[in-house]
Amino acid sequence: MTPQPQAAVGAPLTRVDARLKVTGQARYAADFDADGLVHAVVVDSGIGLGRITSVDTAAALALPGVLTVLTHLNAPRLPYGPNPGMATPPGERLHVLEDDRVRFHGQPVAVVVATTLETARHAARLVRVEYDAEPPSTDLSTATDDTPVTYERGDAERALRSADVRLELTYRTARQHHNAMEPHATVARWDDGRLTVWQKTQWIHGAQSELAAVFGLPEDAVRVVSPFVGGAFGNASRIWPQGVMASLAAREVGRPVKLVLSRRQLYFGTGYRPGYEYQVRLGSDGQGRLTAMTHVMRAETSRYETFQDDILSIGQMLYDVPAVTQDWRTVPLDVSTPTFMRGPGGATAAYAVESAMDELACELGLDPIELRLRNEPDRDPTSGLPFSTRRLRQCYATGARAFGWHPRDPKPRSTRDGDWLIGTGMATGAHPSWSVTSLAHVRLDADGTAVVQSATSDMGPGTYTVMTQVAADALGLPVSAVRFELGDSTMPPPVGHGGSMTTPSVGSAVQDGCAKLRREAVELAVKDEESPLFGAAADDVVVADGRLYVRDEPARGETYRSLLARSGRDRLEADGEYVPAGLPFSTHSYSVTFAEVAVDARLGLVRVRRMLGVYDVGRVINPKLAVSQAIGGMIGGIGQALLEHTVTDHRDGRIVNANLADYLVPVNADIPDLKAIYLEGEDDKVARIGAKGLGEVVHVGVAPALANAVFHATGRRIRELPITADALL
Amino acid sequence: MTTESASRIPPPAEETAPSSDVTLTVNGKLHSLRVDNRTSLLDLLREHLGLTGSKTGCNAGACGACTVLVDGRRVNSCLTLAVRLEGAEVTTVEGLADGDELHPLQQAFIDLDAAQCGFCTPGQIMSGVGCIREGHTGSGEEIREWMSGNICRCGCYVNIVRAVGQTAGRI
Repeated sequence: MTPQPQAAVGAPLTRVDARLKVTGQARYAADFDADGLVHAVVVDSGIGLGRITSVDTAAALALPGVLTVLTHLNAPRLPYGPNPGMATPPGERLHVLEDDRVRFHGQPVAVVVATTLETARHAARLVRVEYDAEPPSTDLSTATDDTPVTYERGDAERALRSADVRLELTYRTARQHHNAMEPHATVARWDDGRLTVWQKTQWIHGAQSELAAVFGLPEDAVRVVSPFVGGAFGNASRIWPQGVMASLAAREVGRPVKLVLSRRQLYFGTGYRPGYEYQVRLGSDGQGRLTAMTHVMRAETSRYETFQDDILSIGQMLYDVPAVTQDWRTVPLDVSTPTFMRGPGGATAAYAVESAMDELACELGLDPIELRLRNEPDRDPTSGLPFSTRRLRQCYATGARAFGWHPRDPKPRSTRDGDWLIGTGMATGAHPSWSVTSLAHVRLDADGTAVVQSATSDMGPGTYTVMTQVAADALGLPVSAVRFELGDSTMPPPVGHGGSMTTPSVGSAVQDGCAKLRREAVELAVKDEESPLFGAAADDVVVADGRLYVRDEPARGETYRSLLARSGRDRLEADGEYVPAGLPFSTHSYSVTFAEVAVDARLGLVRVRRMLGVYDVGRVINPKLAVSQAIGGMIGGIGQALLEHTVTDHRDGRIVNANLADYLVPVNADIPDLKAIYLEGEDDKVARIGAKGLGEVVHVGVAPALANAVFHATGRRIRELPITADALL
Repeated sequence: MTTESASRIPPPAEETAPSSDVTLTVNGKLHSLRVDNRTSLLDLLREHLGLTGSKTGCNAGACGACTVLVDGRRVNSCLTLAVRLEGAEVTTVEGLADGDELHPLQQAFIDLDAAQCGFCTPGQIMSGVGCIREGHTGSGEEIREWMSGNICRCGCYVNIVRAVGQTAGRI
């Protein structure tokens, strides 16, 4: 078929849902109401490990308006059936209110249901729980680890022994909580044994299958609705206990229940980026050609599930190193299970590897970009496969020019501005470009407008807008004539909304459905004697602005509306499908981040002065939204590098800074002007649509760019995140 | 401003929780209500008046997602008890536009892509309106300082500062 004119794809269009968001009309989970709605509040355990010996709910139940208090003593046991499709970590998910065991501090031990939120909150404070407490093990640095996951190519030990330069370095990263602005929330309602939940989730059908498995229901007896997600960053990719508790409470009291976790409760049992210890050894020849790299990693996980993020890719594929070993151990602790957080694994590995590369560049007296260019592979050193596209050389050149990287005095502590020490740093990032089977549905109505559906999500990147653009071009309609709908399990299932997979996978499914529908309309027209297109070759017909016409004969054509009206059709429909081709290529998105920081020589304060990200992510569907995402990724990386740190009191496993006043995230005053450049181009090996995905990679490599800049400014190499003032004094 | 006597909310918790009568104006509409003394302005808006634009982000005054204007000043509605608002005029994000005509700051947020997930956006916009009224918009640095009570986890700060600055220059 003749390629469609591209009017919307690639254009910096405004978000189609922006008006709803600026007027307060966008409805997030907790904004939903239902007739007879009542409120639930969770009671958390006050110990970090042990058993519940008694629960006294009398005072809570005595409050007028309290409907029930559910605990392990009175809650019905739920089936908790297997749900292999959910791809939860090995182990068994937490069963809440099922037994007297406390596995981590803050584990839900009761849920109070009352007619008003105020009463439910008050009653939750009146529930008296007694425990038989044991000392929990929560310290990664002292606990025992699991059997390792290993990787090996070449003889790293021999290569290290004969290397001209050897470095052995250990880095540590703090546990980070996602702290999306929207707390986890569920509104649950039962109708004749069927469950509807308005629930914060990044994976509509994952939430549906999980609730069905937990309650022993067929999947179609559960409906999940989530039109807006108030940020998630990986944190809503699985169901946490509040979804189960809200549904259970609604069933028990026979009324719809709203359950919104408090900010504090989000730190207990709803996932986090695990803290890591990451030891790197590098071997290189005198010219900076890497000969060996070894990685030993230890990461937090819970005792009931073994969580693993993608910590291995960066160490394997970023550089052309002949000999590599990896030894990765999870460390089971008396904590809740970690989960994916933006740039999962990659952001941690890049901090260690890209800091180590900077240390090597210093050791060799080489420019950090030159060192990376000398180790740039031509094929994926892990698989031997060619890269689909890998334009890091272009990223380095573009970024160095735009940032003004050269000339740079490599000497640390060489630039000063009053009390401030000024330094620059850079780092590279990569993220695997995955795509997964996804479905969509397209309907074109007689009025010439289209509705496109797929049960994906939009946690902020702009799924609504991007899919509208893809559909508009594939159908040949103006953007204003296309409505994209998402967030309802009655819609066709796509991949979960994470891993930078949405645009490649769902976008390709949307494009497929729209192309099929357009093809059907064209076939209809060219076979219709009354159509101006009668007899034309279908392959020569394109559609733009709702009008079908012969490409080289633009006057010959007609609109969708006239075609449908004449043929007596009130609509055309098509199903879109995307199945990954599984081509033999190594597929990744790439980033290079540049940073300039100022460090107060006397106080150790670090201020970010400017940053630039340069990205190779294949086709960019909407450059305006892509730049916003990149800036957001950089800000997330500033948090990881300089501010964010979940602090646990190892005596009882309590998180001591479980609030937004003590867990520091970047605020407006922390952020200077940030810039992003996307290389033009596309990658047709990842997915039909040419996009490689960008939400993750914009976060990967930000923290080491900042850490390297801090070193350049101060001469102090801080090998632990976050880099706080006390470490620099 | 309309002066209709608005919906009378049934007393919560079966009359037993300490409660008070309060009359206040929300987005130009007068409400005479009996409220549980523990009810925050935020929960009054969200759970009783059906105005869910203001968001519960932390319920502790640390994130700004609940920011509204009370008598023209920006406040964290999660920390403001509803019973203290006798005679007050409250403006939420739902009351900012003039019919279909958006407030210039709302339009600037759209044009400059100052919202991603959108959850903090109502609070950002109400705080931005307050910031502009207070005159704390002399420079990007000043805006950044005076908008730092509103956290945006998606990281829209660069565009938020532009939107506030551009709007301040225009109104």
